[in-house]
Amino acid sequence: MRPLAILPALALLVAMTVAEAHAHLRSAVPADGSSVATPPSRVVLRFSEAARLTAAWIARNAAPREPLRPLPDRAARELALSLPTLAPGRYVVSWRALSADGHIMPGEVRFTVLARGMIGHAPEHATGDATGHAPGPSSP
Amino acid sequence: MLSVPDALSVLLRALSLVLVLQAAGAALCLALFGRELADSLATARRLGSIAAASGAVCVVAHLALQAGRMAGDLSGMLDGSLLRLALTSTAGSASALSVLGLALIACALTARRTGVAVIGTALVTASFTLTGHTSVSPHRWILCLLLPAHLLIVAFWFGALPVLYLASLKESPARAARIVDRFSSVATWLVPGILLAGLALAALLVANLGVLRQPYGELLLAKLGGFALLMGLASLNKWRLAPAMARADPGALIAFRRSVAAELALIVAVLAVTAVMTTLFSPD
Repeated sequence: MRPLAILPALALLVAMTVAEAHAHLRSAVPADGSSVATPPSRVVLRFSEAARLTAAWIARNAAPREPLRPLPDRAARELALSLPTLAPGRYVVSWRALSADGHIMPGEVRFTVLARGMIGHAPEHATGDATGHAPGPSSP
Repeated sequence: MLSVPDALSVLLRALSLVLVLQAAGAALCLALFGRELADSLATARRLGSIAAASGAVCVVAHLALQAGRMAGDLSGMLDGSLLRLALTSTAGSASALSVLGLALIACALTARRTGVAVIGTALVTASFTLTGHTSVSPHRWILCLLLPAHLLIVAFWFGALPVLYLASLKESPARAARIVDRFSSVATWLVPGILLAGLALAALLVANLGVLRQPYGELLLAKLGGFALLMGLASLNKWRLAPAMARADPGALIAFRRSVAAELALIVAVLAVTAVMTTLFSPD
């Protein structure tokens, strides 16, 4: 009986190890992976369907993430998050969003704010596609 | 990397699916074959009631965990606004209907009202249509027929297995063989419906064949593989072990119990894969 009892646990473990992100974010400003010369005052997220942000954070370089507030208080396809004043560095804005079908989607956008001396060495991408990492679940 | 609330949510979802479908299936199975059972009837009813009650607890805990997932950590489970958001979401409506159905099953099986328990089964399977892609799909009305049909047959099969196991333990060999034969004759017609309804659901939910190369599609194929193995075991039961039990061949009962235990473990594995698929991935 023991090998049989292990089977469901093994299936769960194997399935969870392939549980990587699924993109639900259509685009973002600043775009994922972009470098900007001017520190953005906000991040705009465009989703494939209406979503409501339930939590959002920003992290600079390897520092711990800080919560972003206030969050938009309604669901929409396009949502904007106000950012604090950003110093040059690499940033990750991450979030959790509730979609209309009741599922919760995590996601993130990475961008770099260039230091003055670096401007001209790297192109500025203020817009473009962003691939967030958002698993979007479904009915069985 | 999965967050703690996401990992816990998958585990609770898997446990919920197992208990909810066990309870729903026990009610169906007892309604169909309850009269055939003698010495195992009381235990089968009690198991169904326990599955329903513990399933309801898991469904409520899973809903509370949604608030934790919304916050990204377990502290969200103590956040009133996030809990309210979880309760008023489609997952909240589905959980409420599921808990109502499970309460009906638990009470009805305890009170020996199998007919009422079947109403609970109907509510539980209908609850799955209130949330997820089914609830927002343009093919909603077709999905609302296909998904409960798929789940009812899965529940019937899954819920019958402990009853058959108990019958092989507690009933006389002749009675046990008769019960297995009756189950097999019904299952032969119903079980292919799992595949047909499942394929129709996949055709309506999966946007294109490219999805089969993504995690959602890979998990869907894993479910199909599990189903193929289950069909192999079910065929072994019907064509080899059930006739051997009817002939009272030595060792037939033990072989049958092993085969039923293997079927149970495989269905639990398929439900675990379903929990990962429906919590973390999307068909689009």
